[in-house]
Amino acid sequence: MAEVHVIGQIMGATGFSESSLFCKWGIHTGAAWKLLSGVREGQTQVDTPQVGDMAYWSHPIDLHFATKGLQGWPRLHLQVWSQDGFGRCQLEGYGFCHVPSSPGTHQLQCPTWRPLGSWREQLARVFVGGGPQLLHGDTIYSGADRYRLHTAAGGTVHLELGLLLRHFDRYGVEC
Amino acid sequence: MNPKEEKVKIIAEEFTENEEDAAVGRRKKKVQRQQRKKQPPTAGPEEMVSETPHLGPQQEPGQEEPKTHLLSTTARRGPRSLPPIPSASRTGFAEFSMRERMREKLQAARSKAESALLQEIPTPRPRRLRSPSERESETEFGTEPGKEVRRTQQDDDSQNYSKVKFRDSGRKIKSKPQVPPGFPSPEEAYNFFTFNFDPEPEEERSEEEKAGAKTRGGADQEAGAPGQQVNTTADEEELLDGREAEDLLLGLEHMADDFVAIRPAEYESVHHWLQKEKEMLFVPSRLTVPTYKKLPENVQPRFLEDEGLYIGARPEVARTTGNIMENRLLVQEPERGWFGDDGRILALPSPIKPFPSRPPVLPRGQSTAAELETLYKKAVKYVHRSQHMIGSGDPSGNFQVDIDISGLIFTHHPCFSREHVLAAKLAQLYDQYLARHQRNKAKFLTDKLHALRNAVQTGLNPEKPQQSLETTQKTIKEYKAEIWQTRRLRDAEQEKDRTLLKTIIKVWKEMKSLREFQRFTNTPLKLVLRKEKVDQKADEEAFEAEIQAEISELLEEHREEYEQKMEEYRAAHQQWKAWKRAQRARKKKKKHATEEPPDEETEEAPPEEDPGKPVPPEPTDRAVLEQQVRERAAQSRRRPGEPTLVPELSLAGSVTPNDQCPRVEVLRREDVRRRSVYLKVLFNNKEVSRTVSRQLGADFRVHFGQIFNLQIFNWPESLTLQVYETVGHSSATLLAEVFLPIPETTVVTGRAPIEEVEFSSNQHVTLDHEGVGSGVPFSFEADGSNQLILMTSGKVSHSVAWAIGENGIPLIPPLSQQNIGFRSALKRADAISSIGTSGLADMKKLAKWATESKLDPNDPNNAPLMQLISVATSGESYVPDFFRLEQLQQEFNFVSDEELNRSKRFRLLQLRNQEVPEFRNYKQIPVYDREIMEKVFQDYEKRLRDRNVIETKDHIDTHRATVAKYLQQVRESVINRFLIAKHHFLLTDLVVEEEVPNISILGLSLFKLAEQKRPLRPRRKGRKKVTAQSLSDGDVKLLVNIIRAYDIPVRTPTPSKFQQPSRSSRTFVEKHAASPSTHSPTHSADYPLGQVLVRPFVEVSFQRTICHTTTAEGPNPSWNEELELPFRAPNGDYSTASLQSVKDDVFINIFDEVLYDVLEDDRERGRGIHTRIERHWLGCVKIPFSTIYFQSRIDGTFKIDIPPVLLGYSKERSMMIERGFDSVRSLSEGSYITLFITMEPQLVPGESVREKFDSQEDEKLLQATEKFQAECALKFPNRQCLTTVIDISGKTVFITRYLRPLNPPEELLTVYPSNPQATAELVARYVSLIPFLPDTVSFAGICDLWSTSDQFLDLLAGDEEEHAVLLCNYFLSLGKKAWLVMGSAIPEGPTAYVLTWEQNHYLIWNPCSGHFYGQFDTFCPLKSVGCLIGPDNVWFNIQQYDSPLRINFDVTKPKLWKSFFSRSLPYPGLSSVQPEELIYQCTDKAAAAELQDRIEKILKEKIMDWRPRHLTRWNRYCTSTLRHFLPLLERSQGEDVEDDHRAELLKQLGDYRFSGFPLHMAYSEVKPLIEAVYSTGVHNIDVPNVEFALAVYIHPYPKNVLSVWIYVASLIRSR
Repeated sequence: MAEVHVIGQIMGATGFSESSLFCKWGIHTGAAWKLLSGVREGQTQVDTPQVGDMAYWSHPIDLHFATKGLQGWPRLHLQVWSQDGFGRCQLEGYGFCHVPSSPGTHQLQCPTWRPLGSWREQLARVFVGGGPQLLHGDTIYSGADRYRLHTAAGGTVHLELGLLLRHFDRYGVEC
Repeated sequence: MNPKEEKVKIIAEEFTENEEDAAVGRRKKKVQRQQRKKQPPTAGPEEMVSETPHLGPQQEPGQEEPKTHLLSTTARRGPRSLPPIPSASRTGFAEFSMRERMREKLQAARSKAESALLQEIPTPRPRRLRSPSERESETEFGTEPGKEVRRTQQDDDSQNYSKVKFRDSGRKIKSKPQVPPGFPSPEEAYNFFTFNFDPEPEEERSEEEKAGAKTRGGADQEAGAPGQQVNTTADEEELLDGREAEDLLLGLEHMADDFVAIRPAEYESVHHWLQKEKEMLFVPSRLTVPTYKKLPENVQPRFLEDEGLYIGARPEVARTTGNIMENRLLVQEPERGWFGDDGRILALPSPIKPFPSRPPVLPRGQSTAAELETLYKKAVKYVHRSQHMIGSGDPSGNFQVDIDISGLIFTHHPCFSREHVLAAKLAQLYDQYLARHQRNKAKFLTDKLHALRNAVQTGLNPEKPQQSLETTQKTIKEYKAEIWQTRRLRDAEQEKDRTLLKTIIKVWKEMKSLREFQRFTNTPLKLVLRKEKVDQKADEEAFEAEIQAEISELLEEHREEYEQKMEEYRAAHQQWKAWKRAQRARKKKKKHATEEPPDEETEEAPPEEDPGKPVPPEPTDRAVLEQQVRERAAQSRRRPGEPTLVPELSLAGSVTPNDQCPRVEVLRREDVRRRSVYLKVLFNNKEVSRTVSRQLGADFRVHFGQIFNLQIFNWPESLTLQVYETVGHSSATLLAEVFLPIPETTVVTGRAPIEEVEFSSNQHVTLDHEGVGSGVPFSFEADGSNQLILMTSGKVSHSVAWAIGENGIPLIPPLSQQNIGFRSALKRADAISSIGTSGLADMKKLAKWATESKLDPNDPNNAPLMQLISVATSGESYVPDFFRLEQLQQEFNFVSDEELNRSKRFRLLQLRNQEVPEFRNYKQIPVYDREIMEKVFQDYEKRLRDRNVIETKDHIDTHRATVAKYLQQVRESVINRFLIAKHHFLLTDLVVEEEVPNISILGLSLFKLAEQKRPLRPRRKGRKKVTAQSLSDGDVKLLVNIIRAYDIPVRTPTPSKFQQPSRSSRTFVEKHAASPSTHSPTHSADYPLGQVLVRPFVEVSFQRTICHTTTAEGPNPSWNEELELPFRAPNGDYSTASLQSVKDDVFINIFDEVLYDVLEDDRERGRGIHTRIERHWLGCVKIPFSTIYFQSRIDGTFKIDIPPVLLGYSKERSMMIERGFDSVRSLSEGSYITLFITMEPQLVPGESVREKFDSQEDEKLLQATEKFQAECALKFPNRQCLTTVIDISGKTVFITRYLRPLNPPEELLTVYPSNPQATAELVARYVSLIPFLPDTVSFAGICDLWSTSDQFLDLLAGDEEEHAVLLCNYFLSLGKKAWLVMGSAIPEGPTAYVLTWEQNHYLIWNPCSGHFYGQFDTFCPLKSVGCLIGPDNVWFNIQQYDSPLRINFDVTKPKLWKSFFSRSLPYPGLSSVQPEELIYQCTDKAAAAELQDRIEKILKEKIMDWRPRHLTRWNRYCTSTLRHFLPLLERSQGEDVEDDHRAELLKQLGDYRFSGFPLHMAYSEVKPLIEAVYSTGVHNIDVPNVEFALAVYIHPYPKNVLSVWIYVASLIRSR
């Protein structure tokens, strides 16, 4: 019966090699969680920074959850994409972070990575764009032995999330 | 030792176990140290607990094992022999055994220690015997040294024994008292093994011992050892004593040589070893055991599986393992109970489940790779369209169906000559014959009959005495029944065979005669009857035998029957006799004893009925029977000796060449040659491909031999072949459609058999040559009798199969995209794939079928099926293919699910989030559950519950209620369908971009600076549009600009004035208003000019807000006023969807302001004016809000809706130019008002869905429509061009399919049988009476749906298109030339009108009002014409102008009208979507009357409600008068009754001032009626003595179309 209200924004991203970036995001929760209002996933606009390195999206996130247990605390998964001059989109990085569990405002930095692929694919990526993508998107947040996956680091996504918790104390969770 | 101590020991032992190995060496030293200290081992229990003291006795025996054996006696050991403590699981077996031994040693040591304590306390044993090397070796090998090791030690010991001994003895002498004789020290015991006996036997024994220890366990060892060893010890003692003595004698100087004997290392040959092992051990062979060994003598192995019994799968066992087992069993337990009949070990069926209950652990490398697999994707541009394609769930769907069309054979064709007909018949019969012949049922049955007879014969012979007589009897009876059955069947079959043969011959004969008659042959068919000679005698014999057998059987049957009957007869007879006797006796009794009480007689009365004497059955006569049998045989069987006829059909005949044929035949052949056939392949009703066009052969066979590979995405719903025939170069005609079954999922290419599907066509063809035609009667006889009608028919041979992909996977789409999960779960259960049935959807059904059909569960063939069924029925089909991550979810939950769901707050939040209408606009939701009222959900729950309950409260009329529900459902489904599409935004929806000013705009703005501030003729400018989201209540206003009006009715002088001059006072206004409104110049003289004829003002009411203009004067007033009305969206929701569904109307009412002088006293007239203002309603204009919203502005002149009877007013007759088509009737009756309506700020109207819809139209046609529309839009972007529309199921339909002559109701046609114009008007009126409901309201923002006319009439609601289509169809059926006009009109905007061509002019009909206008009528609301639509074509207006006044409607001129179907694209003959004809039910008059009463009651109540502060009196008399008057109005359609009515009213209501008017409406619901009455403002009169009258009349038209008249009036009594 406890409630969690996540209010915040995806501020932007830094450190990516491409400049026109947008971000697809989603929030994944366990079975005990119930979304009361808000949308679980979304996509930001394409931002092309004119000054500086950071692409600003300032994309609002407003979710209201009810939960009957602590398992499956909400986690955010992000995909940063870039758009090239032809309007084609390609993947720049996958990212993942947990929604903080303490109330208040939190500044989060979510580093990202992207699959490297074979040398051929890397070559193709350099010249014709595109790139390897995960077939199963849930790999971003589910734990498989990922050591087989060779990745390259992408930039960082900056998030600012405010959390309101309610009724957790009623069930003996201190926060 | 007490038990407590023991316990402690056990604990200690347990405790030390682990340390033992590691700490062996350390401990040993310690132990020895302790021993040296001569500590008595028996310490108190408290000491025992601690580890160190206890270790001594524990460890000691490790070295002194042999000794302990010697010393321990069974008696002593008894109480201490602890049972082996169950080992903890962590210890392995080896460890266990080791411990076991340890324990034994421990016990032994303990006993020894005890004995030592008892007997040896003064001389504890010194313990320094061993050399350090030995000790080392000991520590190396642990506490359990092997025998070999021991021996080497012994050897070592023996080698340096003397020295050791010497030292030892020396020490003994020094420090310790001598060991008493007869008690061997441990060393002695030890040495006993090393010395003075030959090692062989000892070795043997020790080995035995070891083996024994291993196999038997410690107890045996202990039991067996002592006796034997005691002896040896005794020997040793002697020896030892001797040596010691020697040692002592010889002194210390002895050299080692003396003591050391060098011996060779002992060696036992491997061979020897093996030999011994062989004796000891049994090693079963690995070779296969021959079967005979496993079975009892002289028994052949039996294989149950071959006998058809189900034996489950045996568990998998490696063969060698199996062999070993068998060999062992054979030797060890030779009773052979282990082997089954088949010579194999008995085994239960494999217990392994068919599917794993644990998720399969995939090979490691693969699984992770699969999970982490990445796919190189190209950089993609987002294509929005594909995102929203309906039904494209699975992008990887790459499925393929192969359709092989091999050919086509016509079994009848219009071009068939008579001979062909016969040939086809013959061929068919021959095919039948061949099929029958192949099956040869008769033969089969005959054989069966023989077999049965034999069986009966043998059964009758009492050869098998062991069978009970009863069962034999029973079986024989059954056999006989079967014989009877079979015989009947056989006879029938034989008869059929014979008749078939006869028919073949008959047809052949007919054909021959026909060929002769026409003197040419057309077909190469030739029938040869081959006679097969039979041996006459044998045949006859067989025949006779058969007959005899049959007769005898029949006889027997009859005899049985006879006997049975006899039996019955006898019984009956007996009964009868008994009855007879009783009767007689009674009679006698009666005679003899009449004194009997009468009641007895009554008792006996019942059996007095005479049962009747039974008739004995006739025995059957053999002769008669024989006669019958023979007759039947003659009929159905070949006569004996008659040769068997075998027909053979060949194509060997020759066809007469063309030049020898008569002309008609040549014509026919040429015609045939001109024809060609092709097939279209339709997949899911879409043409996907077609075969090549092949010429029809002379034999009417067409070979295609084409294979079509269809790559499909969706599950196939239908596969159709369309057979098209082309004659010469004309267009193809559809002959027939052949529906192919969709192949089973198991049918894949290569395995599919060629099948033939028959088709037939219902087309009627008559030909002018020899061809017999199709659907036309023809005859073979010369006189034309015996007519035959044949339809074109034929067979298509084809095969349909699923293709196989590259890797052998059939490309079959999954059964349904939704239940993939279930299927994949099922797939895992192997049984299903092995059965390969595709219809596994319902397992329960399958199980039911299995139980019903009594499947043999033991049949091996059924095994997988049974397994599957057991899985399905036991509910085990749910295979967990997941790994539960949140295993402990349940345990850690705060609350249960129910509690979570019960929370009202959460529910409210969720419902608001889902935009459920009731909760969509909740702004704030309480924080606590307790603050939320339970009733919040009541409405919502009620709505959910009542979704299917038809509520008649609001609708009164059940039919309409049903329709409303239906519409609601359609709306919901449509809305759900387009929900995705609605979320599809374009950039312009999100971003408002100001245009960057360019030069031209700059220039214009510069000009603007120079223009006048207040121009004389201001024009309206476009305004900025506002997106709806940012609005709130009060932001939006409706601006209504009332400019002027024309031809307002003017007051007429009340005739009453003249008739009743006695009226005491005439009011002020009456004097002025008394002028007659006729203003023909002749009359105008009577009234002074400049007199006020009418003082109209306009009142606009919208959403119950009312605004009105100032009062103007005269019939042509000019107001030029702007009224501002606030707009409030429903629930404060200003989203586009919500605004679109606003149903409110703007009422623009025109009133006449009348002043009445109420001054009672004439004397006061000079000092004051006391008047009362009354307003009289003159008419109204009603504009739906949705129109304003979509048009964004409405500008124009509208006809005012004026009631047909307006008492006290009449039209001013002005000089009118003749506008109408009909010069006789003036169309100037209307009054008009010029308006401008808009919204402030301007709202962006919702756009319709940018979406393509499914269609069943030909792809080519669709392409053509797109092209046509694009071309038209290029030329005239503003003109409406419509070629395809969306029907109610959301499919695109070509528009002309909607037009088709449809019969109007019969009732309307009979009204004016001679006047077609009047009939047309009546029909138009009927159509206009069907309520209007804009699609945009019902399908908010989605699209314009067109319903067909029958749907429209059923729904009784529709917008302009439906009305127009229906009217157009009616006109077409009335024989008029009619078109649908798509254009724009005011106030509707884009709309549909109907255009008809009368003798010499065009008429434009407004289908919603039923009015019509001439082409050149300036007041025609139709302002522009985009296109015309006829039943077979669409014409787009390409003239310069689009106003109907200025265009030419002659569609034959290609320069003015661009037609859709032209020479390049001929009209393909599209079938109509409309029904053949409309069926009208007469509306129930009684129901209408009832409705009438109810409406009247409701309206009266409403009027009283609207006058809360006044008393509302009803004038009954007036009401009844009005009620009589209304039907009159209906009959005359509200025309030309005014004067009569007025006169009548005046007569009846002489002293009342009466103001009122009838309203006429189409009936849909009550609410609009109420609104209409309200808008007239009749209730607003607040004169104290006012009375009201209200009458309602409903005239029912067919199909529940109701015309409602409401007469509402107010009366004021004038004194």
